[in-house]
Amino acid sequence: MKEMLNELLMADKTLIHIPFGNGFFDIYKSVVVSWIVLAVLITLILVLTSNLKVHNISKRQAAVEAAVLWIRRVVGELLGEEAMGYCPYIVTVLIFIAFSNMIGLFGLVPPTMDLNVTLALSLMSIVLVEAAGIIKKGPKKWLKSFTEPMAVITFMNVLELFIRPLSLCMRLFGNILGATVIMELIKHVVPIILPAALSIYFDIFDGCIQAYVFCFLTSLYIKEAVE
Amino acid sequence: MLTISLFNILFTVINLLILLFFVKKFLFDKIDAIIQKRQQEVDEATEAADKAMMEAKAAQKEYEKKIELADEEKEQILADIKKLGYEEYDKIVMDARKTGDRIIKEAKASARAEAEKEREIHADELKDMVIDAAAKIAATKHSSEDDSMLYDKFINEARANNG
Repeated sequence: MKEMLNELLMADKTLIHIPFGNGFFDIYKSVVVSWIVLAVLITLILVLTSNLKVHNISKRQAAVEAAVLWIRRVVGELLGEEAMGYCPYIVTVLIFIAFSNMIGLFGLVPPTMDLNVTLALSLMSIVLVEAAGIIKKGPKKWLKSFTEPMAVITFMNVLELFIRPLSLCMRLFGNILGATVIMELIKHVVPIILPAALSIYFDIFDGCIQAYVFCFLTSLYIKEAVE
Repeated sequence: MLTISLFNILFTVINLLILLFFVKKFLFDKIDAIIQKRQQEVDEATEAADKAMMEAKAAQKEYEKKIELADEEKEQILADIKKLGYEEYDKIVMDARKTGDRIIKEAKASARAEAEKEREIHADELKDMVIDAAAKIAATKHSSEDDSMLYDKFINEARANNG
């Protein structure tokens, strides 16, 4: 089992080796897989939104419209009215994480199992959260908001700047890694039928839940920042 | 798995920004434009329907008013005609009465003239008879017997003539 964990955690992630920069410019597997995810998503978006009409809409268009309105309503409820402008970002992150988590179904390693990807996601989220705060309140008020509700907890508030993205990043990474490890273990014990059933739980259900949690927390932070 | 590479983080960030661009430009904006267009059409249609409804109501009111006016006019005309009829009736009756009076008067006058004429004829006849009788008496020798006979004859003749 230890060997397997070693294999999973310490495996060489490099897929495309760049012959200079001492490995700095190496492109990891996770990035290449996320390119695939991106390609699929963009193709899907372009195909689904092609040939849109005002009248006599096709079933496809009706479904896309309903889906867009639904997802926007769900995210809008999380964000609140004031932060509605950040809705596209949240939706982007949501579908990216959800699809990334589910790509395990097609035998690829989910990009979200790479710390670099989750780190990038959480960094973007925290930058967005703080930017939203600065845009809404102005730099002075934003700085002052660290001393609220009282000056004593300023240190805690500053610490939160690092804790929030770290927790976001580690939660996603840990969940997907954990799911993969458990799946590997089960495959070792029962090689047929059971892995398929559990894969539905871990890859689809857990994947969506984690995507939702990530977006839920990010929008919560943004909502808090613009209040 | 645990190594951190800034280059790959940067790549992921770029990936996400590209996806964000597509989601916003090609999914949200496109769908929004369509929905907004449809909403606009619905609004316009509703507005047009409201306008048409209002116009119809105004026209209905106008017609009702017109009908009311026509009723009033009809009453007026009827009243005028009745008045005219009564006047004509009165006039005709009056004329008839006048004519009747005139006819009666004329009849009375002509009757009177007729009677006069009759009387004159009788008087003439009487005169002739008296003259005739006088002549007879004068012409014949007569006794008192004859005289009284003549008188009687004369009186009888006159009575018969006067009838």
